[in-house]
Amino acid sequence: MKLKFHISGFLLLFGIYGSNSQDATEIIKKADDKMQGEETSYSTMTMKIIRPTWERDITFKSWTKGRDYSLALVTSPPRESGQTFLKRENEMWNWNPTINRLIKLPPSMMSQGWMGSDFTNDDLLKESSIVVDYTHKITGSETVDGWNCYIIDLIPHEDAAVVWGKIIKWISKEEYLQLKSEYYDEDHYLVKTETAYDVKTMDGRLIPTRFELVPEEEEGHKTVVILDEVLFNKPIDDGFFSQQNMKRVR
Amino acid sequence: MKEHLRLAWRNIWRNKRRTIITIASVFFAMFFALIMRALQVGSYGHMTKGIVEAFTGFIQIHKNGYWDDKTLDFTFEYNDQLIKKLENIENVSAVIPRLESFALASTGEQTKGIIVVGIDPEKEKEMTHPDRNLKEGAYLTDESTGVLVSQRLAEFLELRLHDTITLLSQGYHGTTAANIYPVTGIVKMPNPEMDRRLVFMNLKTAQNFYGAYDMLTSLIINLHDQDLLSHTIKEIPGLLNGEEYEVMDWKELNPELVQQIQSDQYGGFIMLGVLYLIVGFGVLGTLIMMTTERKREFAVMVSIGMQKKRLGLILFFEMIFMGLIGIITAIIGSLPVISILAKYPIRFKGEFAEIFEQYGFDPIMPAVLDNSYFIGQSIIVFVIFFLSIIYPTLTVLKLNETKALRA
Repeated sequence: MKLKFHISGFLLLFGIYGSNSQDATEIIKKADDKMQGEETSYSTMTMKIIRPTWERDITFKSWTKGRDYSLALVTSPPRESGQTFLKRENEMWNWNPTINRLIKLPPSMMSQGWMGSDFTNDDLLKESSIVVDYTHKITGSETVDGWNCYIIDLIPHEDAAVVWGKIIKWISKEEYLQLKSEYYDEDHYLVKTETAYDVKTMDGRLIPTRFELVPEEEEGHKTVVILDEVLFNKPIDDGFFSQQNMKRVR
Repeated sequence: MKEHLRLAWRNIWRNKRRTIITIASVFFAMFFALIMRALQVGSYGHMTKGIVEAFTGFIQIHKNGYWDDKTLDFTFEYNDQLIKKLENIENVSAVIPRLESFALASTGEQTKGIIVVGIDPEKEKEMTHPDRNLKEGAYLTDESTGVLVSQRLAEFLELRLHDTITLLSQGYHGTTAANIYPVTGIVKMPNPEMDRRLVFMNLKTAQNFYGAYDMLTSLIINLHDQDLLSHTIKEIPGLLNGEEYEVMDWKELNPELVQQIQSDQYGGFIMLGVLYLIVGFGVLGTLIMMTTERKREFAVMVSIGMQKKRLGLILFFEMIFMGLIGIITAIIGSLPVISILAKYPIRFKGEFAEIFEQYGFDPIMPAVLDNSYFIGQSIIVFVIFFLSIIYPTLTVLKLNETKALRA
């Protein structure tokens, strides 16, 4: 009985490995492109930071181009509106109009929450590295929220500068929707879970529009991001993602 | 009995030099023990004062959980009634509201992590006295929107009066706290650690900066008499709403300070012990010399009919007299020295001063003049002296007069 199980287990592993390794990377890439837009994306979002004793909302606009450029502008609450964040390749800057200062976020701030949320600055900076920094492997399939999904393990390359020890993603077989992601640390303990809901057609694409990030260790903490508007592949000039524009963009 | 005492008194002045040597050995023992203790007690007081009276206060009230996780999420609303109630406790001299948090301070190229303290300018006068420590500029008022910067921080950031300081931090509920403020004054904090990283601003200004409108992180309570602390602190929880707040005394607020004082105190006891040992044997030595010198005299006395017991008693009284004279003169002698050291403390320089500063204290060693240690030290020295008396007295009681006469 035991032997049989071993053999079938091996067969299963080899079968998946042999035929699907390339597919797994392909799936991740398609899923990533789908959310990021192949060329560019523009979106407005509402972020709800939920804590045991309070919660607050932040709205912002975000522009991205390819994997390397992105710019975010906070539009509310009034206290914080006008702040911008620029990401170019591996660097991130923050412009604060009240103090009239451009700050380059140091590596030490990368693991801190962005605007007090459960998303770290590193999450925002490295969001697209899931394609290039990891090896991908399909380990099974499961139904999430009515969608039939691949379960894909992402293991970082030895030399990749990433904080996670492992990521598991649930990506729907149709439409390539990233419906659930689990982030593990180096010791393979679950750190946080991101779940996507409310799949809708936005700018001609079927995508999830509500994302919930729940950290494992902190009870009652949650960050919800709601996509209010998205435009894909509207041409944006490279010069848009510049320090000068951080101070101008509205 | 009276006769014995008179005889003893006359005896000790028969050989003045011998007596003075014996008294001197007691005098110096007592004198140094007193000065050493005065400096020890004084420096503990100085350490406590430097932190407790200059910043943390004797008792603090926070929102429950604040002390373990000092973020602005553990704040409570300014409550006038609560403050009034606390002020009505007998031993409470002042209740001071504060909003304290961290920030990055920047001017041009220099940036430093600092503590921002939002204060009630009038009330803070009774606590930290920033008004008295003001080096330049003007003290805060209820309306002022500027900030006071501690002196060493100002030097580090190359700030002068009326320059602009940029502060950046995370505020209440994770909001961004960022603003620029004019420097309206520079204060010298007595504690070097504080002096390196303190910015005072009006409570309102701080609340706006952190987006924590009408919120406080702590109520600081100052006392008339710190010896009654343990009684006063018991009255506080009854005035607060159950689990919402935490009440801490200065020992809990400054565990490092308490530990440091404790370890220093043990070191001090060892030093004192060594001192006692040295002077104890010194006194014993002189006393033995004194009795040996007079053995022949004693033998003659016994030969012509003096009882050994009476002789021993007289010798005992002689030594007690000398001991008391030594102790009393030492107390009188040390008083001016201690009061001078209390008024003009020893100030350390160079490397030793740096060690002090690293621990966050002004590098001075003041003495303190109070009766707390005089009695204790007198008793200890007297006991040591008493122990030293036993052996010489016994030698007289066991005197072999024939041998002693021929010696």
